[in-house]
Amino acid sequence: MAWKHRHLIDVDVFTADDFYTVLEEARHMEEVMERPLKKVPALRGKVIANLFFEPSTRTRTSFELAEKYLSADVINWNFSGSSTAKGESLQDTAKTIEAMGVDAVVIRNWEVGTPEYLIKKLNGACVINAGDGARAHPTQALLDLYTAWNHFGSLRGRKMTIVGDVLHSRVARSNIHAFSKVGVHVVVSGPRSLIPLHVFDLAEYESDTKKAVSGADIVYALRIQRERQEEGLFPSIDEYHSRWGINASVLSCANKQAIVMHPGPINRGVEIESFIADGDRCLVLNQVKSGVAVRMALLFLYLTGGAGR
Amino acid sequence: MIWLCNVTLYDGKDLRDGKWDICVEGGKVVEITPSREKESNFRDDTYDLEGHIVCPGFIDLHVHLRDPGQTWREDIDSGSLAAAAGGFTHVVAIPNTTPPIDDPSGVRYVREKGRKAKGAIVLPAGTVTVNREGKLIAEMIGMADEGAVLFTDDGSPVVLAKVMRIALLYLRDLGIPLMEHPEELTLSEGGQMNEGRVSALCGLKGIPRSSEIIGVERAIALCRETMGRVHLTHVSTKEALESIRKAKQKGLPLTCDVTPHHLFFDEEMIIKSSYSSAFKVNPPLRTREDTEVLFEGLMDGTIDAIATDHAPYHVDEKDLPFEEAFFGIASLECAVAAVLDLWHKRGKPFPLKKLLELFTTGPGGIIGIDRTLKPGARADITVLDLGKEEKVDAKKWNSKARITPYDGLTLRGWPVMTLLGGKIVYDRLKQEVCHEV
Amino acid sequence: MEAFLMKGGSEMKIKAIVMDEQEMDLTIRRIAHEILEKLRGAKEAVLIGIQRRGVHLSHRIRDVLKSSGYGELPCGELDITFYRDDLSLMADHPMVHSTSIPVDITGKDIVLVDDVLFTGRTVRAALDALMDMGRPRRVLLAVLIDRGHRELPIHPDIVGRVVPTSRDESIEVFVKELDGKDEIVIVAKE
Repeated sequence: MAWKHRHLIDVDVFTADDFYTVLEEARHMEEVMERPLKKVPALRGKVIANLFFEPSTRTRTSFELAEKYLSADVINWNFSGSSTAKGESLQDTAKTIEAMGVDAVVIRNWEVGTPEYLIKKLNGACVINAGDGARAHPTQALLDLYTAWNHFGSLRGRKMTIVGDVLHSRVARSNIHAFSKVGVHVVVSGPRSLIPLHVFDLAEYESDTKKAVSGADIVYALRIQRERQEEGLFPSIDEYHSRWGINASVLSCANKQAIVMHPGPINRGVEIESFIADGDRCLVLNQVKSGVAVRMALLFLYLTGGAGR
Repeated sequence: MIWLCNVTLYDGKDLRDGKWDICVEGGKVVEITPSREKESNFRDDTYDLEGHIVCPGFIDLHVHLRDPGQTWREDIDSGSLAAAAGGFTHVVAIPNTTPPIDDPSGVRYVREKGRKAKGAIVLPAGTVTVNREGKLIAEMIGMADEGAVLFTDDGSPVVLAKVMRIALLYLRDLGIPLMEHPEELTLSEGGQMNEGRVSALCGLKGIPRSSEIIGVERAIALCRETMGRVHLTHVSTKEALESIRKAKQKGLPLTCDVTPHHLFFDEEMIIKSSYSSAFKVNPPLRTREDTEVLFEGLMDGTIDAIATDHAPYHVDEKDLPFEEAFFGIASLECAVAAVLDLWHKRGKPFPLKKLLELFTTGPGGIIGIDRTLKPGARADITVLDLGKEEKVDAKKWNSKARITPYDGLTLRGWPVMTLLGGKIVYDRLKQEVCHEV
Repeated sequence: MEAFLMKGGSEMKIKAIVMDEQEMDLTIRRIAHEILEKLRGAKEAVLIGIQRRGVHLSHRIRDVLKSSGYGELPCGELDITFYRDDLSLMADHPMVHSTSIPVDITGKDIVLVDDVLFTGRTVRAALDALMDMGRPRRVLLAVLIDRGHRELPIHPDIVGRVVPTSRDESIEVFVKELDGKDEIVIVAKE
């Protein structure tokens, strides 16, 4: 079995087989995480640099654990105090870390397209996108897919409704690609001012949240950020919650066995009602756990094999 | 039970031939039959309305009732009575009050007070932006849930195009229109009257026509992009009307209204009246040609409704030199008469039915109120006497306003009775306002 | 010579049949009893098969011992992919299979079971994996075939048969559970 992708920018280039390869591999990685010694030497001697321009404890920690469980050597590039704050460009940062000799760069940046830019500037190191602007967050989509797949067994023919600020969400975009590819019917809902104008080129849109959620197996709530209110894109948290919060009434329109997911961290009482967030239909903690296993699987696939490429 | 007999009937669809009798009971229209002899029945209230026209209740989409916060000028109660006297069963209260109606509790206040008022029903509207500052959209969903029938920052446009676009998107699936007051504030700033021949002659600072034109074009572009419902209010220039006509032909979800005073008066009145501030209004009175083009727009469907933009002030705020006075014309009680009078004077160039649509089904369609008279329908009825001639006397008004450009004019064609939900709320025939029957 | 499809999906020429079904069965039985002999005195033992065919062999060994009345030895499976020393040198990714060891291995006598012993690198990887999982009392190695060409100092404790081969040959073990038949053959490598 050959893993033919060199870099992980987004899941839109994955075939259905590619998805299942990652999912199966992640399962094995979960088993490794259950061993008393959570470590295998698969990536021993490999150096991975985590370039997180946007602050992110959760994703960065998840990557770091994944890297360490595979015995890789990890460099965390911290941008708040480093030379980039002093104005060093991404290009120079890339050249610097490459000169230090890295096998892979995990990058998160607020600008769309930075992974591609980095690939051009680097001389062969593998680039893994941990989120670029509002475009893509492939590892999130994969861990979400893994969580749902683990829970349901099979995903083909199911329905997922994504609710919230799709306009600014890389999580939404990558999830739409991933879940659609494996045969899930995806519908989005949310305040129209937080949905791309031409949403129909992206996914099916239904303005009435209850209708959108009707018959869904997965209800996926996106984070709503305070900045969006400050930009005037929606008037108040109360109004957001009254129409687009996942509460008992909305959830009752979904399938009886439906699960609730969220990329985290949850704004309790805003995106999801507290008791639902704490209930066993909400798989947010499974998502977090899956995150490490999925990232381990990805690092294994991208950083081993491929000799002679 | 009330019988309105021997009337000419406009039922919301057609101006029917012949004479009709209408029976109203329990708040509803119970029966509509061709006129016939009736045995006298002393228990019923029977009105012989030979020569009168019965229509569905008139709706005014744009009145400033100054309540809460500016009630020395008008309030919901006085405005409601004035509206009923003007032939209206429903009016929409523009939310530029103090404080502005920008949250659900404000809407609830107007809705409840407006429902209990003794004349016409006052329907609440909400602002588009918080405090009408034009920066952040208000809780429009919450306000819609409380009964707001439209959203507007009127008094001003939605200042920032970005905010208007967000509002149109946010409102899109609510089915409630955004009423835009089309004005480019940087152009109109400081202006007192229409920029034209008269302003050149008398040295008053003019308001460029482009101010309204730009406001309208911007609204059309955003309407096209977002496909959100836009209603342009008090359109006054021929250029703006032409743009609206073209946009509507392309199928955009766009509607508009004009005021009676922009049909009835032109800018020459300012000189003719010796700079009476009764004629000071925003948007300003325009040229004679504009009034004629607007009048034609009533005929061809470009204009969806006539709305008064009733702007009452205290005498002390209007009885001032022209440049010091506030902008605004009060007209709720004589506006319908002014339009009917104008229609007469111009030689009745289009069918009466078209005119009546502009007060009934036109505005009704914009805010989702059905205006058909048929058995089972709520008995909201306006009765017109097309031949009645009377002089406007603001001193006798139910409205608190006393200054109006129509004062002293004899107008032909008046509303003489108004029924709301089967109750007579205005009865000129008995010279007083009635309550229960 | 029959040509046939290899497990890897490429056609190969068979040069010789090393064992047929009957011989395999006899050999496995003998291995099972030799293991028992070597385990005498062991308090607790665990059979651990190396993926993939080592696992099936370990199951058969367990079943032989059980039916011979010696009780049921706990059986585990071990995938050594993550411990391979050639991950960077491979073009493809090998398929990872499951690792599942039902008991704690610390203090136990482990019998590692594999089908073919060749360079010894697989066993080295298995030993490293085991050491990361606990501290066995001792580890014994049982293999069905030893084909020589050791590259590391690894020796089997129990051998089914020694089959000398050359470098351009390979030994393929077929088991009913995966391949539909029991047979061991020498093939010419492409």
